[in-house]
This record gives sequence, structure tokens and C-alpha cells, in this order.
Amino acid sequence: MMINKNAITLILCAVGMLFSLTLMMKAHADPINPILKAEINQDRPAEAIAKPIVNDVKQVRNYPMQPPLIPHNIRDYPINTNVNKCMACHNRTRTEESQAPMISVTHYMDRDGNFLAEMSPRRYFCNQCHVPQTDAKPVVENTFVDMEAMVKIAELIKE
Amino acid sequence: MKRFKKYWKVFSKPSIHFSLGFLALGGFIAGIIFWGGFNTALELTNTEEFCVGCHEMRENVFQELQPTIHYSNRSGVRATCPDCHVPHEWSDKIARKMAASKEVWGKIFGTIATRDKFLEKRRHLAENEWARLKANDSLECRNCHNFDSMDFTLQGKRAAEQHSTALASGEKTCIDCHKGIAHHLPDMTGVKGW
Amino acid sequence: MKITRRDFVKASAASAAATAAGITLPANASNIITRSESTQLKWDKAPCRFCGTGCSINVATKNGKVVATHGDIKSPVNRGLNCVKGYFLSKIMYGADRLTKPLLRKKNGTYDKNGEFTPVSWDEAFDVMADKYKAAIKAKGTGSIGMFGSGQWTVMEGYAAVKLMKAGFRSNHIDPNARHCMASAVGGFMRTFGIDEPMGCYDDIEHADSFVLWGSNMAEMHPILWTRLTDRRLSKPDVDVAVLSTYQHRSFDLADIPMIFKPQTDLAILNFIANYIIQTDSVNWDFVNKHTNFRMGTTDIGYGLRDEHPLQQKAKNVKSAGGSTAIDFDAFKKFVSTYTAEYVAELSGVETDQLIKLAKIYADPSKKVTSFWTMGFNQHTRGVWANNLIYNIHLLTGKISTPGNSPFSLTGQPSACGTAREVGTFSHRLPADMVVANPKHRAYAEKIWKLPEGTVPAKPGYHAALHNRKLKDGDLNVYWVQCNNNMQAAANINEEAYPGYRNPDNFIIVSDAYPTVTAQAADLILPAAMWVEKEGAYGNAERRTQSWYQQVQAPGEAKSDLWQLLEFSKRFKINEVWPADLVAKQPELANKTLFEVLFENGNVNAYSLDEVPNDRLNDDARDVGFYVQKGLFEEYAAFGREHGHDLAPYDRYHTERGLRWPVVDGKETLWRYKEGSDPYVKPGTDFEFYGKPDGRAIIFALPYEPPAESPDDEFDLWLSTGRVLEHWHSGSMTQRVPELHKAIPDALIYMHPADAKKRGLRRGDEVKLSSRRGNIKIRVETRGRNKPPEGLVFVPWFDAARLINKVTLDATDPISKQTDYKKCAVKVEKV
Repeated sequence: MMINKNAITLILCAVGMLFSLTLMMKAHADPINPILKAEINQDRPAEAIAKPIVNDVKQVRNYPMQPPLIPHNIRDYPINTNVNKCMACHNRTRTEESQAPMISVTHYMDRDGNFLAEMSPRRYFCNQCHVPQTDAKPVVENTFVDMEAMVKIAELIKE
Repeated sequence: MKRFKKYWKVFSKPSIHFSLGFLALGGFIAGIIFWGGFNTALELTNTEEFCVGCHEMRENVFQELQPTIHYSNRSGVRATCPDCHVPHEWSDKIARKMAASKEVWGKIFGTIATRDKFLEKRRHLAENEWARLKANDSLECRNCHNFDSMDFTLQGKRAAEQHSTALASGEKTCIDCHKGIAHHLPDMTGVKGW
Repeated sequence: MKITRRDFVKASAASAAATAAGITLPANASNIITRSESTQLKWDKAPCRFCGTGCSINVATKNGKVVATHGDIKSPVNRGLNCVKGYFLSKIMYGADRLTKPLLRKKNGTYDKNGEFTPVSWDEAFDVMADKYKAAIKAKGTGSIGMFGSGQWTVMEGYAAVKLMKAGFRSNHIDPNARHCMASAVGGFMRTFGIDEPMGCYDDIEHADSFVLWGSNMAEMHPILWTRLTDRRLSKPDVDVAVLSTYQHRSFDLADIPMIFKPQTDLAILNFIANYIIQTDSVNWDFVNKHTNFRMGTTDIGYGLRDEHPLQQKAKNVKSAGGSTAIDFDAFKKFVSTYTAEYVAELSGVETDQLIKLAKIYADPSKKVTSFWTMGFNQHTRGVWANNLIYNIHLLTGKISTPGNSPFSLTGQPSACGTAREVGTFSHRLPADMVVANPKHRAYAEKIWKLPEGTVPAKPGYHAALHNRKLKDGDLNVYWVQCNNNMQAAANINEEAYPGYRNPDNFIIVSDAYPTVTAQAADLILPAAMWVEKEGAYGNAERRTQSWYQQVQAPGEAKSDLWQLLEFSKRFKINEVWPADLVAKQPELANKTLFEVLFENGNVNAYSLDEVPNDRLNDDARDVGFYVQKGLFEEYAAFGREHGHDLAPYDRYHTERGLRWPVVDGKETLWRYKEGSDPYVKPGTDFEFYGKPDGRAIIFALPYEPPAESPDDEFDLWLSTGRVLEHWHSGSMTQRVPELHKAIPDALIYMHPADAKKRGLRRGDEVKLSSRRGNIKIRVETRGRNKPPEGLVFVPWFDAARLINKVTLDATDPISKQTDYKKCAVKVEKV
């Protein structure tokens, strides 16, 4: 039993070493920029245009102040001096019919913090803060840690 | 009046010089030529090439159409100008074409000859089209988008919700929600739902 | 052990995972922790890391990490708002491939130009670096040492770098990447007013009746200023907005007067407006007579290419590009009279009625006009001219220096003004608008620095485009790049930048937080601390200086650029770098290190660590043993105080959301050159342009001249490059934020549907985009946010995977030496 266990460990180690060795050998040839993924003077193919995510599923915010991402198609939605298509659904008076989230209360405040009867004109161009997403894969992972996890860690440290 | 009576007499009397067969056949052929010519001419005015032959259409609405889904999309089924703006039904089409004589007038007098003039009229022009589509229950939309053939399960949540209720009951018609899908919108102040 | 991209990712991801180890997010509401001591976040202020708008940010930290950011409601700049990039600032420092150790190219254990990046200690890194510097100095003198800095350096970092280079190594070959974005604006200011930076401020937006955007897509590039402009336009319906560009972009959504003109013809449009103002007798004579002079500029000045280029050979006045001669109003009137509406309409492709509509905005004495411009003007082979010509219009009408009347040059980097311009990190400059060519200015600097006369070399150094050319030619041999990504950013990568960096004679050092394209071309990579991982100060486009405290620690062994500069300066003795005759002037310095002479000079080390608040991080100060940021800031401020560039005492910036210089008697200045609002204006003068000896600004007669390269039969399209809202500059930070990356994952080529159709292309096709210099593969976008006219394509440059600067031309403005990234000839073919 003891021997078996050791043998397995040994095999696992060998496989692991082999794996990491091939990984390293291959990695050596890799240029270090994870986005370029080529030498600077090399030719590089262009990925297909990513597809918009239009599934209407809300994404968790990284922190409460983060503007929510747009989970639906906005192709040909005009926002100009004539019209703001977003507000046809997200305006306070439109949300019962549209069942879309209402723009947040901050959007009714002017520069000096006074509440206006309508959306503040400084918030007019929605896509300065709110952007839709595509199905593109992140090129580099991000190790940002959510504040809720941080609070938990703080609690654990205290204990 | 006198002259009219004279002509009427000639017109109403049986023919002396031509056989009935010749007249009937001649009339038939002439009819074909005229009718065919009329229809050909009508159809010619019913093409995108004709529409964008004028700079008013080419520089304004046609430029706006090109990036939209009604011009470029997954399956390549696309709408040309007359698909949305001219009824397919003959009598409606003729009625629309007669109304278009006003547009010829506008062309001659340059009502929307410049970008600024066009923009000034945009609300008015759009309202005409909204009213027409509202009145005919969005007929031109429905020429392609058949309500019975819509698969709600393949639609977005919000779209399916609206189509299965308001559109199904006839409370709303396509143009009520889908304004400005092929062209830029005018100033929408006071338009319901905007 | 050698390390590669994958290893960095793995190592960093593992450490992050360890932080969150064992932590599962609560499954239901009952798990919510409400005890305030646990849920409290530590909030502090900082300026945004991105553009030159200079928004103020509130930053929340917990357990030594940034966990949230939002717009500071107390900030007069942004009043609680951020753009989408700003809202995601929290994540820019946490890309999994953060650099945490110096990496040296090695083969068989020693440095090799063609070796693999191998982790080394800071000691080894600096040893190798110092050897290379010393060898270069010995072989060719200090003129073979170059440095490329940044408008993203903190004020203190830029100041330390310029001092180390110009006074320590005595090489003026230091230039910032701001050369690519602001040099023409600087040239315009210096030529017209004799003093740099805008006279007005952002408050102009709330006062203006009309806005004119000249080659600026504010909606995407300065989103928060755009919210202020939008606020003004929509809440006052009689306010109008004119937007001029060579292609349609998002700012056109607010345009009352949209205008697409043919590339380069903005010069003619500007002259037409001046002509219109004169022809319609709309000149503000009182202002013009009292406060302006007229001059005729030198013409036919070439295109800032290599000397042997045919265009340079052909041009008559390459050497005297910035020259001018005095003329009178009548000569100016005659000069602009050829720019009639008809002629300019023909040239620019803009209808005459539109041109007149635009001119009327300026000519109407009842309208307060603010003009904004950015790279459309500055990245222009006649960029300084374009800047001069817009001032002409504002000066002819007297619409300047008063609320709402403002010719306003916007900046692209958070401290293009604060660091690159005010500190003077350009190859020809010193702090506070002083220049190396002026003996009085050099003497002034040497006095403040307590150095012997003759320390600072008199000859201006190489500018940015010249850096790459001189690297390629082997004239520059050791080259340190800090805080920017110039391999991706500089034009003509194939012919100049890449051969320059990879020249076997050269040793390239790149300090960065991430393995950028530039880092990939380096021989030694130094891991940098970024943003709130260090204490610093930035200066924005409206002369607002803002400081921030260090709020978190940098990962691994990453160190700030300031620390790197200071530590490296310890490795040189004065007599190793200075010639004997200079040392002889102050022989007590001979055996001191550059660090001791430059940074322990009684000024920089004047403030002890006691002044650093105990509850504050300040790794740089605690490492070096004194409050180094304060010392550098105060020594630097001595240049500008009582010279029109007064800064407040350093400590005050920690309590303010920034202050606009000149800060005199504790008060900031909103509108310069105007009596009553600018303390430097002499009473009774009403206006005084005190940058010029006679207090008068200059109206310049300058013509339209064609661009360096125009489309022809083979290369049949114009190429313009630029940015997108979601990414900032070369994308090294924003491409690592998943939400921003997923919003705009790739750079695309924006083209008109008819241009696509003509070439048998459709949206999504992969094409080869080529110029005479290089090519890239890229996908076609025919219905994106940018809508070019037929004959022009637009490609953003943020994408490290799509190096558009392989294609661009390194033609520069002959006066400002700024590259024109907006115009070159290309062709597009299906792959």
C-alpha cells in the first residue's frame, strides 16, 4: 500500500515535471506580450470580429459604483440632439411598460447635486459610461478581488 | 360644345374603314403597349436605383440606411426603398404614386435640396411615414415580417414579451415601437413613448 | 530560471488566488456582514490615471488592494462623474501579467542581446545598466545616452529624470512621448503668446455660447469634458456646436454644424474665417490695436523627415522653419484675401454656406466662442501653424481670456501639461518654459541646482522621432524608456523604431508595469509601480496641479520610476561622467555620486520623513530616507514662482482637488492675461500677453500647404489613426481590464461601405492594410461608430495585436517635431 502510494506520487511528479518542462520549452519561444503574441516584425492574423452579447442577463458589478454593463443589442440605437433611444425604456416614466431598470437617481442630479425633474443633460450620452460586451475572451486574466471577499478576509484575519 | 358633339359622333359611330377584328386586336395590342409601358415606367420608379438617383435621397436617407440591419444582416435579405415606402397592393401603390407627384414638385423646387433644408423637414417627412404605416397597420413591415411566423422563443426576452402581448392583441403595430430603424430619427420631442 | 509570459501569468494568478483562498461568497442575505469595522473601506483621493482631463477620483482600499473607484463629487473637474475607463480604474493594476522582477535578456548566464528574458535582482540589473552607460560614455561621450519619458510620469519623476539627464549625464537627448501629442500645441503657444498652456480653463464651458471642435473627438477622448459641453448645449438651446473632422465620429451626435473636410485643408478653413472676419468688418479693432502684432511666417518648411528624403531636399526653408518677419494689418488682410469661401469650399469639400455659418460664429460679436482641439491639429505636419491660425481668429475678434471666450488646446495624457511641459522634459526645454539654448535659463537652472556654470549643455537634444532614427543609425547607444509604450506608439515601426531598438550596438531599458510591446523590444525590463502604488502629482489641461498619496503597495519587487532614477544615480561618480574642466569648477563634487550631487543637495532632501504622515504609505520616501516627493516638488517650483508659473506649497495640494497655476497669494488663476483675473497683468492694461516682451500676442500669416503624402493610384486611401473611448492610448492598462477589453476587443479598420464594395469587401473580412512602409492584417468594419467618407479609413492604435504604426509615416511638423498620425496613403486588399 505504502509502495503503491509512493509510486503514484512518483509517477504524478514525473508527469508534472514533463508537463511543465514542455510548457516551459514552448514558452521560451513565446514573445512576452500576451496580446501581440508574436515578434514585433512578424505578421499576425486578425481575429474574427467578436459577437455582441445580447442575452439580457445582468452581470454582477465589481463594486457598487460601477456603471452596469449593457446586456442587450444597441445596434442603431441613436443618441443625438434629436433623440435618446435608451431613454425610451430606461426613463423613469417608461420603466413600467418596458420593465427595464430605471436610470439611477444620480442621473437626475446636476453638477451641483440638485435633483432635476428629468435626466440631467450631463448624463445624456449613456455610452460614455455604459458599454455592451462581446463574446471575446480576455487576453490577460485580471486578479482584482471583490470587496466582499476582502471583508471576509478581514474577518478571518481578525479571528 | 359643338365641336365636342362632332367628335362624339365620330367616336360613337361604327367604324367604316376598319374591321371589328382589327379594331379589337389593335385595341388589345395598344392596350398591352400602354399598360405595359405604364407599368414598366411605374416599376422603374419602384427601384432603389431610381430613388437614389436624386441626391436628396442618396446623400441623406440612403447613407443612413446602409449601416442598418435592413441593409446588411445575417441572411442577406434586405429591404430596398420601395419595399418599405411603396405598398405592394396595386391600388394602394397607385394611390402612393399619385401622392408622390408632390415629391416631384418638391424635387423641382428644391424643398430639401440642401442638408439643412432636409433636416428642417425631417420631422414632417417622418411623421408622414409614421402616419401612413400606423393607418395601414404597418403593412410594408408585415410584407416580410409575418406575425404568425415569428418564433418568440428565438427572440430576445424583451422583444418576445412585447410581441406576444401588445402586438398580438393589435393594441400596437410595428411602427409604434420600431421608429427610426432604417433612418436617423428627427427631433422626437412629444412623440409618444420617446 | 528563465521566465516567460505564461510564467508571469501563472505566478501572479497564484498569488491572487492565495489572497482569496478559502473565501466563498455568501450564498444568501443572512451572510451579509454589517459590522462597520469590517465593512469600512479606506477612501482617499487621486487624479485619474488616464487622459488630460484630470478628473479627480475617490479610491477605496481594503487589505492593501484597491477595491473600488468612483468620480469625486468634490472635484470641480468632474463633479462625481467618470467615463467608462475611469470607472474601471480599480482593475488596471491587477492584470495577471504584472511585472514583479527585473528581466534581463540572457544566454548562458550572461547578458546577450538575443537572449531570453531572465529574472535578475535589482542589483544585477543596475550593474549591467551602469556598465553599459559607462561604456557608452567612454566610447562616444554622454551624447550617446538617451531617455524617453512620459506625460504619465509624475511631476517629481519627470523632474528627477530631466535633472539626471541634463545636469547629471549632461545629455539633452531626453524627450517625452508628449512630443507625439502636445508639441505642436506648445509650439503654437510659444510662438503666439511666448508662454505655454491655455489662458482659459474648463469653466469656459459653462459660459460659452458656441463651441467649435477642430480635430477633436471629445465625446470619446475627453468624455467628462464632453458631459460638461453636453450639459451646456442641451440646457441652453441657443448654444450651438460645430464639429470639424476628416471623418464622422461620436462628437457629431451633438453637432449643429457638422463638417467633414479633406485632410490638411483645415489650414485653409482657418484662413477663410480670418478673411471673413476682415471682409465683414468684424475685427475687434480696439483689441487688435492694443494687444496684437502681425507677422508673416516662413513657408515651404519641409516635413520633418530624414534629411535625405526627397521632400526635405525639395523644401527651401527646412533650416528656418520657425522664422517670421513683421508685417502690418494690411499685409495680413491681403494675405488671407485669397482664402475666399469658393476657393476654400473647392479645396476642402465643405459647402460654402456651411463655411460661412461657421465663420459667423466667430464673427458675431455677441457670441462667446470656445474652440477645442486635440490631435487633429497637433498631429499635423503644419500643427504649429494650425495652432497659430486658430489664435488668429480669437485675437482678431478679441474672444480670448474672458469667460466663455477661449481657444483651448486639450491634452491626451494625465500630466502632459504638468510633467512634460511644465517640468520641461523635452529635449530643448527646462522647467517653467525655459530652454537649454538660452544661457540665462541655463544659468538660472544651474543656480537652483547648485551646480557649476556650463553643466547643462546648450544644444537641444534629439526629439522623439529623431531618437528612433539615431538608435537605428547607432548614434544613441543606451536608451531608457520609462512610463510609455513607444514601440507601439511611434510611427514607422518597421523602418525606424524596431531596427533602432534591436540594433546590436544598443542597450535598451524599459521600465513598465506590464510586458508591453516596447518591453518586448527591450534588453532589460524594470518592473514599475503604477498610479496609487506611489505618491505623485499630475497637471491637467487647465493648468490644474493635483497630488495624491501612495495608497497600496506595488506587487513583488516593482518600484516606482522615481525610485529607479534615484537608485541608478547612486552608481555614478561625478568624475566618471563630467569632463575634467567642469569638475574643476567645483572640485569638491568630484568623488560624489550623481545622487549626492543632484538629490542630496540640500533642496531635494530638505524635508525629513517626519513630514510624511505616519498612517501613510510612502515607500519611495522611506527607502531614500527623506520626503523626496516634497523636496523635488519644492525645488522644481522654485523655477516658476514669480515667473508666471507659481505653484502652491506642496502640502496644500494634498488638501485640494487641485489648483490652477499661477497660484498667487494662495489663489488660483482661472483666466490668464486678463486684468482682474490674472495677478500678473499690470493694472490699466486690460489685457497683457506678458509672455511677449511688449505684452502683445502675434497674429500670423501662414498659408495652406499640402500634406507630406497623399493618396495616389496605388495607395489610394487616406489613413487616419486615433483612439476609442474604451481604451487609453496603447491599451497596456485597458486591454487588461476584461470589461473594457470585451467592449472593444480588437482594433478594426473603419471604412465607408462603398469603399468596401469597390474592393469586393464586406464587414468582418480580413484585409491587408499596407503603405509604402509596412502592412498589418485587420478586419473590416463598415458600420461602426466612426463613419469615414469615401476615400479615407480610420484605424485606432490601442491594440497591441494590430500595430498600425507599422503603416504610418514618421513625417513631423518641422517646427514642433510632432508626428502626423492622421495622414498617410494606404491601400486595402482582401487577404
